[in-house]
Amino acid sequence: MTYTSILYLLIFLPGVMLFYQLVPVRHRYKVLLAASWLFFLSLSGKLIVYLLLSTLSVHHIGLWLSSCKKSLDLTGASVEEKKSLKAAYAAKKRRILWFGLGIQLGMLIVLKYSGFFSDNMNHLLKAVSYPNLLPGMKFALPIGISFYTLQAVSYLVDVYYEKIPADDHLGRLALYLTFFPILMEGPICRYAQTANALTEGKPLEYKNVTYGFQRVLWGLFKKLIIADRLNLLVETVFGSYKQYGGIVVIVGAILYTFQLYADFSGCIDMTIGTGEVFGITIPENFRQPFFSKSPSEFWRRWHITLGTWLKDYIFYPISLTGPVKKFGKKARTKLGKHVGQVVASSPALFGVWICNGFWHGNGWHYLFFGMYYFVLIMLENLTEPYVIKTAEAFKINRNNLIYRIFQSVKLLIIVFTGELFFRADTLTAGFSMFSSIFTGFNLKALKDGSLLHLGLTIPDYVAVFFGFLAVLAVGIIHERGISIRERMSGLKLPVRWTLYYGAILLVIVLGAYGDGYLPVKLIYAGF
Amino acid sequence: MNELLEILNEINPGIDYETETRLIDDALLDSFSILSLIPELEDAFGITITPADMIPVNFNSANAIWSMINQLKEE
Repeated sequence: MTYTSILYLLIFLPGVMLFYQLVPVRHRYKVLLAASWLFFLSLSGKLIVYLLLSTLSVHHIGLWLSSCKKSLDLTGASVEEKKSLKAAYAAKKRRILWFGLGIQLGMLIVLKYSGFFSDNMNHLLKAVSYPNLLPGMKFALPIGISFYTLQAVSYLVDVYYEKIPADDHLGRLALYLTFFPILMEGPICRYAQTANALTEGKPLEYKNVTYGFQRVLWGLFKKLIIADRLNLLVETVFGSYKQYGGIVVIVGAILYTFQLYADFSGCIDMTIGTGEVFGITIPENFRQPFFSKSPSEFWRRWHITLGTWLKDYIFYPISLTGPVKKFGKKARTKLGKHVGQVVASSPALFGVWICNGFWHGNGWHYLFFGMYYFVLIMLENLTEPYVIKTAEAFKINRNNLIYRIFQSVKLLIIVFTGELFFRADTLTAGFSMFSSIFTGFNLKALKDGSLLHLGLTIPDYVAVFFGFLAVLAVGIIHERGISIRERMSGLKLPVRWTLYYGAILLVIVLGAYGDGYLPVKLIYAGF
Repeated sequence: MNELLEILNEINPGIDYETETRLIDDALLDSFSILSLIPELEDAFGITITPADMIPVNFNSANAIWSMINQLKEE
């Protein structure tokens, strides 16, 4: 069962809504929690043990951190005694936090990365003529572990810094970690954003339900009409990459990028829409990323919740460690203000991008993807003032259309190249495909019909093209700050419902499923 | 407060720190400036700034920064 399956859309979700509405308010969160665990069981079966272990340990350690604070009694203590009591308290609290993080991250690392480490260690040992010493370690991964682990970590760190109180309500914490719409692909929520709303038990309201289902429908449109159809071509090009080069590989990289966006943002639309149905606001994860002007802006608009998580729990903690602060001061003194500031941020930025790459998966191509953006963003930061000065010297208006088009084209090339390596099966395959763009380049593929032998027919291309135009139009409208749903709610009832039925019909008729199409898993659910 | 204004002007000049209240919201102070500011504040006022203090509301104006400094001094 996934968010696009008939079982989920026509039985599971309406069933949950019905039970939710029928039970008394104080028990509604239990319906959501039972549904979330049922959903988890349907996807990962007995691996729910890991989730339960994670939930129980986060709950217990949060309360432990809180009781540690309560046990700090400074009454009657002298200044010196206060100092030493506070230091002992801080050290104890830190140990508890690291213990809690160790459990959460330990589970993620062992389950997700032990195969990667053992394989690479064996390669290394083989290189120095030792036999394979480490057994191949591959574990089954519970669905959503990469997402709920980050939520668990943010909860523990926020309790540690007293940004939020520790929650003694086990059900609320469990639901915060596993609410079924966010389970497969996030977005990565913070406890303060969703936890209370999840247990409030708001009644289902007409506006929330219609707005929610509009969003779910838009997600299905992106996923079924664009992403799943493009999958046919992407699988062909990336699966048999040695047969292709030049324009075919370029088309493969471009269409994979659109597939990934339609798939991931479509799933997030369905998630946010489902949350809305129950009156729960789930944070946005995309803000028209392809309208960005630079790689750093792109990442502020793409997978936003991962970016802000990395900023708060990797970038700042690394930046504020003693050695990094010292390094920063030295860099600013020796290299001058601008270069010094950029170089000073490099250790934290490096940490962010290595985590970003590694979080996506356990292959070298993911690490390369992270390092690719680290280098590009460092270069962008270093050269920014010189770019501004050069533009001023040549009297180039950086806001005019031609300059904006130049920036957009540059950014799109950067993004498509990054996604080529990201999607490739291995780093070697990524480099092979990248070099084949130049070695196998000729324009023949545009004329000889090669592009029609990659799994997509002309009607498929037409459907994708019109789907893409719709996404572009909606993006432009959103970029102008206009809410389409607010506008739609102002339309007369018959017009509005004609539009709803038209959209449902469009998804049913143009969706890429049935004969000739393979069921396509949600891409980010695999990370 | 004067010492704080001096530090701010040294790190990122050209802003009226006495009146500006949207230093972060309007991106007048970027992350590089903030990262330069922190060790200066820690040295000048004998405080320790933690990741939990890194929220926009603490850095949106000189007054907000000053309040944060005083709060951290009390701790």
